[in-house]
Amino acid sequence: MPEKGNNAGPRFQETVVLDSEAKQCAPFREKLRALLIKAAFDDKTAGGIVLAADEALTNIIRHAYGGKSGRVEIDVRDFSDRMEITFRDHGQKFDPTQLPEPELPPTKGGGLGVYFMKQLMDKVEYDGKGPGNRLVLTKFKK
Amino acid sequence: MKIDQRQSNNVDILELTGELDFHSSPELRDRLQDLLKKQAGKILINLKKVNYIDSSGLATFVETLQKMKRMNGKLVLTDLAPAVRSVFEIAKLDQIFHLAASEQEALTAFAG
Repeated sequence: MPEKGNNAGPRFQETVVLDSEAKQCAPFREKLRALLIKAAFDDKTAGGIVLAADEALTNIIRHAYGGKSGRVEIDVRDFSDRMEITFRDHGQKFDPTQLPEPELPPTKGGGLGVYFMKQLMDKVEYDGKGPGNRLVLTKFKK
Repeated sequence: MKIDQRQSNNVDILELTGELDFHSSPELRDRLQDLLKKQAGKILINLKKVNYIDSSGLATFVETLQKMKRMNGKLVLTDLAPAVRSVFEIAKLDQIFHLAASEQEALTAFAG
């Protein structure tokens, strides 16, 4: 009998591998939107998850790779009670969870990306052990 | 991102189409920078056909707003789709931007 509840395996999962280029953001969002529809998230929640994930990817491109070419692996796993999106890169160490909270409303550009991740997702977890960075965004299903 | 530019009653109007993100916002930033260099005092940005905005897009607007305030100019954003407006609200940017329901409402505000 299949396992049920929080410890059950993912209902589906997909890995996206892309290069750290700004032009990769739009196709990644499109792919993620399709997976969120498959996972039956409502439009508003899906929109928030897409924005949070896009900000995570943008941070990797800007900060971990600093505009240089590099590999980004993104695992999207849909469980019965949550969706987990895991980002892995091989760039410089960058822990977005340690950035200070931005002043709101902001009076200068920047600083909102991590705020959006924290506001729109239920968990933002960073792991800097080993080479590169690993960031997991989790959204629970209501 | 497509940017259509026109003028009406001394107001520079930019109508954007597409998604405003880390990739597309530099083009908008350049276009707005060009307008500011020409001392444009009234800028209206129509976001009716923008269905997505991220923090890079917001940063572009915040930078422009600050520059326009310093030169006593006026920036109005119009026709925000609910999803885009929601991103402004999460960042509390609806408190500092003039968000108009339509171009007509914005043009009236500029005239006033």
